[in-house]
Amino acid sequence: MKIFIRLGIIIVSLLLIPITAVATAALKQRFEDGPNRVFSGGPLQAGELHAGAEPDWAFVNSIPTIEMQLLEPGTSRRIWVASYDNKLYVWSGYMNSVVGRIWKQWPVQAETDGRAVMRIDGVRYERELERVMEGDFLPALSDIINSKYSSSLTPASVSAGEVWLFEATPRD
Amino acid sequence: MTNPSASNNKFMKRFFLCLLTVLVITVLVVWFVPGADDFVELTFQRYLGRAAS
Repeated sequence: MKIFIRLGIIIVSLLLIPITAVATAALKQRFEDGPNRVFSGGPLQAGELHAGAEPDWAFVNSIPTIEMQLLEPGTSRRIWVASYDNKLYVWSGYMNSVVGRIWKQWPVQAETDGRAVMRIDGVRYERELERVMEGDFLPALSDIINSKYSSSLTPASVSAGEVWLFEATPRD
Repeated sequence: MTNPSASNNKFMKRFFLCLLTVLVITVLVVWFVPGADDFVELTFQRYLGRAAS
C-alpha cells in the first residue's frame, strides 16, 4: 500500500514540472508589450496612436484577432473582432457558465470601466467598450461573425447574456 | 543491515531535491531562453484546444 501512495506522490510531483512551465510563461507574458497567444500580456505600448477620423472598419473582418487592453486593469489579451455598419464589435462567450465566468474576467471588468486600447495592424486605437444586448443589427452581425469564425453566435445568445457583446466606440 | 524505511525516506528526500532542482531550471529556461516561453504557450494552446473540442 505504501508503495502506491509513494508512486502517487511521485506522479503528482512530476506534474508540477509542466504546471510550473505554463505558470512561468503566463507570468512572463504579463511583463511583455501585449499578449502572445492565449496568455494575457501587459499594457500595449508599441505602435502609433491613431488620431483623426474613424477608419473604415471593414478591414477587421479579414483579420483573425486583435490585441485589446483595458485601462483598468492594464492587461491585454488577443480577441476576436468583427465590424458591421462601420462599427467595431468584440465579444466573449460562455458567460453563463461557471468556467466561462472564472476564465473570462475582462467582460466584467469592461462593464465597470470600458476604457480600452486596441492594437490592430500595429496601430493603437483608444476605444470605449459599451455592452450591447439587443438591436436590429444583431442578425447581420451574427452572420458576419459566424461566417468568419467557427462560432454559433445568435441574437438570442446575446440577449440571454450567454455572449457579452461590446461595441468599441471612439473614446473622447 | 540497512533499514528499508530509512532507505525509502532517503530515496524520497533525493527525489524531492531533484524535483526542486528541475523546477528551478524549468523557471529559468522558460524565462530566459528565447522561444521557450512561446513553445510552452503553443503547447498549452494545443492541449487547451483539444480539451475544448
